[in-house]
Amino acid sequence: MFMQQMINGFSLGSMYALIAIGYTMVYGVLRLINFAHGDIMMVGGFLGFFGVAVLELPFLAAVLLAIVGSALLGMASDRIAYRPLRSAPKISLLITAIGVSFFLENAFNVFFGGVPRAFPVPSVLEDILEFGGLTIPVSALIVPILTAMLLAIILWVLFKTKYGMAIRALAFDVDTVNLMGIDANRIITIVFGMGSALAAVGGIFWVVNYPSVDPMMGVLVGLKAFAAAVVGGIGSVGGAVLGGLIIGFTEVVVIAFFPELGGYKDAFAFIFLILILLFKPTGILGIDFEKSRF
Amino acid sequence: MRKLSVLAASALLLASSSFAKEINVGVVMSMSGPLAAYGQTCNEGIEFAHSLQPKLKNGDTVKLVLIDTKGDKVESANATTRLISSDKVVGIIGELTSTNTAQVIAIADKKEIPVIAPVATNDKLTEGKKFANRVCFTDSFQGAVVANYAAKDLKLKTAVVVVDQAQVYSLGLAKAFKDAFSAAGGKIVKEIKVSSGDKDFKAVVSQIKAANPDFMFLPMYHPEVSMIARQAKQIGLNKPMFSGDGVANQTFIDLGGDAVEGYMFTDFFDYGAPPTERSKEFIKAYAAKTGKQEVNSFVALGADAYNLMVDAMNRCANPEDNICVNNEIKKTKGFEGVSGVISMDELGNSTRSAVIKVVQNAKAVYKATVNP
Repeated sequence: MFMQQMINGFSLGSMYALIAIGYTMVYGVLRLINFAHGDIMMVGGFLGFFGVAVLELPFLAAVLLAIVGSALLGMASDRIAYRPLRSAPKISLLITAIGVSFFLENAFNVFFGGVPRAFPVPSVLEDILEFGGLTIPVSALIVPILTAMLLAIILWVLFKTKYGMAIRALAFDVDTVNLMGIDANRIITIVFGMGSALAAVGGIFWVVNYPSVDPMMGVLVGLKAFAAAVVGGIGSVGGAVLGGLIIGFTEVVVIAFFPELGGYKDAFAFIFLILILLFKPTGILGIDFEKSRF
Repeated sequence: MRKLSVLAASALLLASSSFAKEINVGVVMSMSGPLAAYGQTCNEGIEFAHSLQPKLKNGDTVKLVLIDTKGDKVESANATTRLISSDKVVGIIGELTSTNTAQVIAIADKKEIPVIAPVATNDKLTEGKKFANRVCFTDSFQGAVVANYAAKDLKLKTAVVVVDQAQVYSLGLAKAFKDAFSAAGGKIVKEIKVSSGDKDFKAVVSQIKAANPDFMFLPMYHPEVSMIARQAKQIGLNKPMFSGDGVANQTFIDLGGDAVEGYMFTDFFDYGAPPTERSKEFIKAYAAKTGKQEVNSFVALGADAYNLMVDAMNRCANPEDNICVNNEIKKTKGFEGVSGVISMDELGNSTRSAVIKVVQNAKAVYKATVNP
């Protein structure tokens, strides 16, 4: 029973972690809390649904479609909504992000309707593994593995490639980076593409685990992933994963030990968030932004 | 003389134009947002009933003014105010959920505009209100139906209840069930609270599995219930599951897939067992228009909310007299509706039958009728 709940917490936590990585990427570079991130995740889920249910593509092709589509959407949102505001105060950028979020939610509501649709989960992912009384659905098992893989890939890109170096440099100082002959706008576009691709992966595996697609599905998850990114230290990729796990475990522990208070599990998760921020305002793995990032 | 005849003619014209008036009836409904599936279905019933009977006995035309609430409390209140102050409606049909309907009633009651709630089942809704009415049954009746059916007909002894504490509907239905099930000799072994909007219930179903009850009662709406059913099946929790009318929708079955086979829930009406002549005619007309026989119970209740409103307006000398319309609604006895025979009481609650349905081969199938 206890082990089962730990597995539940781990699978939920890595789900949040997967989405939180995208938040933290964009924040690290632009110091923009991209509130549209949860909605890009929703678009990823919809594209996956569209690929599997309408175009009848194989699952992996649908994942690819969702990743490419969402990455393009993320880059377009940067080009259209954020780039013109590059030198504007940060608060304008934040409000614009909320605007993009509302736009996506309502556009999907108008074109696809608010009725949740069932996502046809491939049967391989619906299998259930059993080890001595523990039951683990394959779909839940695959998320932590995927999160770890993506984390490794992102860390590799950030620390071992030239683009990664440019991204890290950009996080320090946009103007100086421009002086060094790096096209800052192009790097930012790449970051948005990467962040949105991550959101799409998160969206697809979210609907594989919880097979229902609707235009508002990104709101609550986005908020929790944001909280996870803040707990872990926003701007830090490893911190986002840690924060996601913490939020996931908190929710499961509340239900496991205090079922009467289960409805308040989000409140517990956020109280935890406040406590951590009281003692370490930059988050667990967060570093002072004026000194370093990632 | 010529002047006089012109005058007479114009007076006649005036009289005839004022004779066939257009009377506004407001509809407040969740047409988008998380509960859009229900709201759109319910509104379909209201509009279809309107298309069958667009005129009153005296020749006046009823005009429906629909406002979308997006499933939101504040939007519901704003919509009500707008309908009363700028559209001058005689009565209001709506909202969908008990939580939002309470907002509609709070405002309409002050302005003395009668409200007919098609599907809002919370007991407290009509308490202390003069202008609140409904065509559906209440939660205490619905909770008792499930409790007695499970305890007496299926001989189940222990239950786990999962409550959505963000919904008034869920809290009321859970309480009614717990009281009735305990009274019938059953035992509630565990109560777990969740809140709507969640998708991950793995921790919840693991808890239920550990408690090992005879069955589960989930008085919630379909987005959460379908996810719970799926995740329960994943961990091999194969106990009978019951819900109230909150899952009486095809979307629930689509979302739940295989996991909701055998799921049981209470409903108001089944198109396969039409309770009145009017239901038969309605089903026939509905099939002619849409090409499908399956009249959803929310369609039937939406239609009855409209029919009851029109029936009460017909019995008033002046159908625009909101006080008279409200009194006539409450005086309705043995009204042959689409969803069944409805009798109203002083409080504005209706006495009517319930049906129990079970999901078989991805369809909701009629199982039993329960009379009050």
